[in-house]
Amino acid sequence: MNVTAVVFTAEFMRRIKSRPFLIATLIGAFSVVLLAFLPVLIASIGVDSNRLILVGDPRLTSVAATLLAKDFSIEATRPTLGGTPDAAYLDSHGKAGAVAMLSRERTRLRVVIYARDPTAFGGAFGRDLAPLQIGFSTGMSVAEIQRHATVAVQVRGVGGRFRDANAANMAKGIAYLFIFLLYIAILLNAQAIMASVAEEKTSRIAELLVATIDPARLLAAKVLAAAACGAIQLAIWVAVGGSAGGAMVGLFADNVPSSHAPIDIGPISLPPGEVLLLLAFFLVGFFQYSVLYAAAASLITRTEDLGSLAGPLVIPVVFGFVLAQFGIQSPNSPAVAIFSYVPLLAPFVMFTRIAVTYVPAWQIAISLVVNIAAAIALAWLAGKVYRFGLLLYGRPPSLKQIAKILRT
Amino acid sequence: MGTLILSNVARSFGDVVAARDVSFTVPTGISYGLLGPNGAGKTTTMRMILGILIPDSGAVTWDGATIDFAIRRRFGYLPEERGLYGKLKVREQIAYFGRLHGIARPDDAKRAAAWIERLGLGEYADRPCAELSKGNQQKVQIACATLHEPELLVLDEPFSGLDPVNAEMLFEVLRGLQRAGTTLILSSHQMWQVEDLCKSFGIIAGGVVRAGGTLEELRAAWPTRVVEVEPAGDALRAVLDATPGARRLQRDGATLAYEVPADTDTAGLLRRLVTAGDVTRFERVEPSLRDIYLRAIGTAA
Repeated sequence: MNVTAVVFTAEFMRRIKSRPFLIATLIGAFSVVLLAFLPVLIASIGVDSNRLILVGDPRLTSVAATLLAKDFSIEATRPTLGGTPDAAYLDSHGKAGAVAMLSRERTRLRVVIYARDPTAFGGAFGRDLAPLQIGFSTGMSVAEIQRHATVAVQVRGVGGRFRDANAANMAKGIAYLFIFLLYIAILLNAQAIMASVAEEKTSRIAELLVATIDPARLLAAKVLAAAACGAIQLAIWVAVGGSAGGAMVGLFADNVPSSHAPIDIGPISLPPGEVLLLLAFFLVGFFQYSVLYAAAASLITRTEDLGSLAGPLVIPVVFGFVLAQFGIQSPNSPAVAIFSYVPLLAPFVMFTRIAVTYVPAWQIAISLVVNIAAAIALAWLAGKVYRFGLLLYGRPPSLKQIAKILRT
Repeated sequence: MGTLILSNVARSFGDVVAARDVSFTVPTGISYGLLGPNGAGKTTTMRMILGILIPDSGAVTWDGATIDFAIRRRFGYLPEERGLYGKLKVREQIAYFGRLHGIARPDDAKRAAAWIERLGLGEYADRPCAELSKGNQQKVQIACATLHEPELLVLDEPFSGLDPVNAEMLFEVLRGLQRAGTTLILSSHQMWQVEDLCKSFGIIAGGVVRAGGTLEELRAAWPTRVVEVEPAGDALRAVLDATPGARRLQRDGATLAYEVPADTDTAGLLRRLVTAGDVTRFERVEPSLRDIYLRAIGTAA
């Protein structure tokens, strides 16, 4: 067996059988499920500030309840209330987040809201009740006003990316889920490589290994083994998130008001081309971070230094993750578009753009080429540092020394 | 099997010169002792033999060829600082290092089992290495270095930290390898261990080989000898004092000890001593490896 394959197999088996890997995979799967259902769970079992009790003349509250239904959930209507509602009153009425007291004063609709979360009653509440106010002012019926106020708007996707708004929302949900998975997979597995390199260096096994295998091939075998573990982890999380998500959404859907309907994430279905691109960007991103982490770990001389080194290296991962959040909302903004080419960030940002908007093929191609080239360059530079760092003991090298190594 | 040749090998780390000019030859099946004080360049030289470090200049060859990875996999290495995967079981650890050196499955497992048996590690075979005592971990390391029956085995301070029982066990393993024709290169601060195992020696200091060869060759190049004479009477002392180039050494009062030039006619000296008085003991003392070592590194300092 080729010595690279020997190291790859040993690394893969050690990692896949390790307790941290099993625990991380289980916790990751649990987190994915939780992430998918959190809004549903909160809406179903928790207190929701959008759940209302309407108080007032039944003729008034019945019309208001109809108008508010698309944005709020009406728990109950009451003709009167014996006093001013407070938190204890809301607590005694289950899940209600607010009491809205409605009354008519000639041509004016008067509303006073007693809410746990006052910020939840901005524009939507007033907009929903506007037909009632117009009716009081003009004498027209609410139904007539609504008929006049209805504008026929048709939204048609350009470029055939999404057939309707639901599909676009679903894509955003999927993008969010995948960048979360990519984030976790990179953090867990790239740091596993870091720990493995540090263990081999501090225990002097590295010296024995490089007696039989070139450091660059040793590094490649370690990165590939970790990538394989990461891919398995990702597949498990996607499968769990997709299938369990569908089941749970179905379970809770009946109890959830229409305004809280979850993004339909299960079962996840992506075009094969996008799955391949996800895999490509995952592997490129994983490779970039892995070689970077491995090279950094080769420079430490004590395991205790691992934590202080890992901290700064997490920053680009977090930055990429945060940028991808912006990318979901504004996938075509110039800044997001530029970051979708930048090495270390592109794996997060470009995939998000691909998932939520139409990205021309040439942009994807350029991003892939730039990032594959960057991965190769990073591997080359990391290989130099790794080769040097593995046999370096005593005081850690200065930045000047590292720069000198990279120049040679 | 092959001959190892180092020709004017040099290696620096920044401004620090670890090996300045190292040259020696180790024929097939010979055990070579590399001696020198701390920081002399022994470990750097060994790492260059194994290809772990690339020389800045000079060449290292095995059987006439530059040492590549295919050759390196036929070498074995026991570094001074021992390293094992703490969580890996003893059996798996030994087999893994066998595979790294080209031993295919299932032969790796069979050989690992044989070494476990030979080194008395049976009850620990399926335990993680981290749970073993230091001595047993060293046994595991020895098995890792020798499982693939290396053509050349490099041992850096192999006896360091071993108790007498484990040191004897290592001796036996190394003697077995010698019988099998393995070329050994080892360093040690314990002169008697090196002298006992090795046929040829290189004394290295300041990154330069100061003296090299078999013990006979090193002695032949030694410029003086010591003669010891008893009893310590005035008549015998006068003869020794009159010997050209002789220098009296401080010893206990019962013995006269003199350093004389190596080419001194000792038979003639003995005749003169016997003529001068009663001689109960006359001995021409050959320099020990320790003497040669101390002189060599002294000249280097």
